[in-house]
Amino acid sequence: MIEIKNLTFQYKKSDKPALRDVNLAIPDGDFVGIIGTSGAGKTTLALSMNGVIPHQIEGDYYGSVSVNGLDTVDTPTSKLCRIVGEVFQDIDSQMVSSVVEDEILFGMENFGVPHDEIGVRLERILADVGIEDLRHRRIASLSGGQKQKVAIAAILALEPDVIVLDEPTGELDPESSRQVFSLLRKMNREKGITVIVIEQKIMLLCEYVKHLLVLQDGVIRFDGPTREVIAHTDDFKQLGINIPRVTELYGRLSEKRDAGGRIPLDVEEAVAMVRGVMKR
Amino acid sequence: MNLLNYVEGSSFLHRCNPITKLAAAFLYGMACILCGSIVGELILIALMILIAGTAHLAGRAVRLTWRLLVLGLLMFLIQLFFVRTGDPLVVVGGFTLITKDGLVSALLLSLRVVATMLPLMLLFAITEISDLCNALVKSAHIPYRYAFIVTTAFRFVPILATEYHDIEDAQKSRGVDLDTKNIFRKIKLVVPLTVPLLVSSLKKVDSSAISAEMRGFAMRTGASGYKEYPFGMRDAVVFVFLAACIACSVLFLRGGMYLI
Repeated sequence: MIEIKNLTFQYKKSDKPALRDVNLAIPDGDFVGIIGTSGAGKTTLALSMNGVIPHQIEGDYYGSVSVNGLDTVDTPTSKLCRIVGEVFQDIDSQMVSSVVEDEILFGMENFGVPHDEIGVRLERILADVGIEDLRHRRIASLSGGQKQKVAIAAILALEPDVIVLDEPTGELDPESSRQVFSLLRKMNREKGITVIVIEQKIMLLCEYVKHLLVLQDGVIRFDGPTREVIAHTDDFKQLGINIPRVTELYGRLSEKRDAGGRIPLDVEEAVAMVRGVMKR
Repeated sequence: MNLLNYVEGSSFLHRCNPITKLAAAFLYGMACILCGSIVGELILIALMILIAGTAHLAGRAVRLTWRLLVLGLLMFLIQLFFVRTGDPLVVVGGFTLITKDGLVSALLLSLRVVATMLPLMLLFAITEISDLCNALVKSAHIPYRYAFIVTTAFRFVPILATEYHDIEDAQKSRGVDLDTKNIFRKIKLVVPLTVPLLVSSLKKVDSSAISAEMRGFAMRTGASGYKEYPFGMRDAVVFVFLAACIACSVLFLRGGMYLI
């Protein structure tokens, strides 16, 4: 459970706050998508969930963030990071090793996971993420999608309750992007891990996430179930966020006919909607 | 850089303990320094190429020798003109330009440089740097912090190279004549490119540090490493062999005579 109350944060060398009076509660087992134009405060929000803000990054900090009841200001990052793991935006610089296996071992070794357990956990994580064949590969030789999976595996190895990902598909092709999201959904469903993902590809978010959060200039504009949030089509256009084509289709259809009152979130639902309209 | 990267393999040398490999490279270099004859140095270079051959690296060893000879040539020239003792060999207008001692010592020194550097260069081909660092932390109790600096430096080389090429391409596409043959002009054009490279690498270092910190970097101790690097018979064989090399150098290849 992550609870954010009246959080305002301003970076040291900035002249305006990156986040302004943010209030947010993310229950256990949720799958949240965060969207917003660049500079909206998405990364800042993600960094404040595991104590990197205010511990590692300095600035003016007001309000409170609590993770499983622990206030992030009073709890050391090393403890928070085992609860909330984060995959950063820059995929290359967050790697610490040159071989996949070492990358996944790094965190477990540091946090003192008993050595007889490390081996078991390593194999399980590799299998869960589906990268057994990459185990001995050099990271520099991997594709973007593979690197992203390794980064996720390295975080999952620490068995966090929450995993936060900052634009994990930013440099990926559509196919790898879907693979990453499918992996996240699997972790969310099977292991009950709370997933919070910052993403620009609205279509992916609509298809996979349960909750959608829209940020603008450091303020939360919308926060709610995906289908409800996506209904604010005009606001999205005004914010400069593309809306999925299926949503667009629904909008156009409902101007003229009864489209069924349920916004489709993926192609299958859109097909069902069109069939429904044609029947009526 | 591709002459220094790691080459995967399962040869005798690959499977030695990383510390053995490091020590072996230094001990072999020591044998080369102790050796005092030109023929001896040539033998040591040839032997090193043969040894590299057992790990399927003979080609690389030859190419490295070739590159190192450039450095050797520089040493040769300096030594050639600076040594003033011995019989005059080349006299120009009453001034002794080259002496016999100069020629011999210059040859010896340049070959010695090549022979000493070669094993150290080949070390990178058969050793994963992270393995070497892990082993040094475990067995030699070197603080992890220092080992991490070394592995990170090596890891960043290809990342920064890619970054640099991107910046270079961006400049080329805007009409900057980076393909110029004129070396001075090229230097002038390349220097400004180092600024964006420096800025982006500093950013990367920052996020790298946070990422390591978040995965418990500060909590790591010498005993944290999961992988074990045991010493075996193989390593004993290597040390015996190197002891023999050094003994040969000292006993038979001390020089004295000019060529042997």
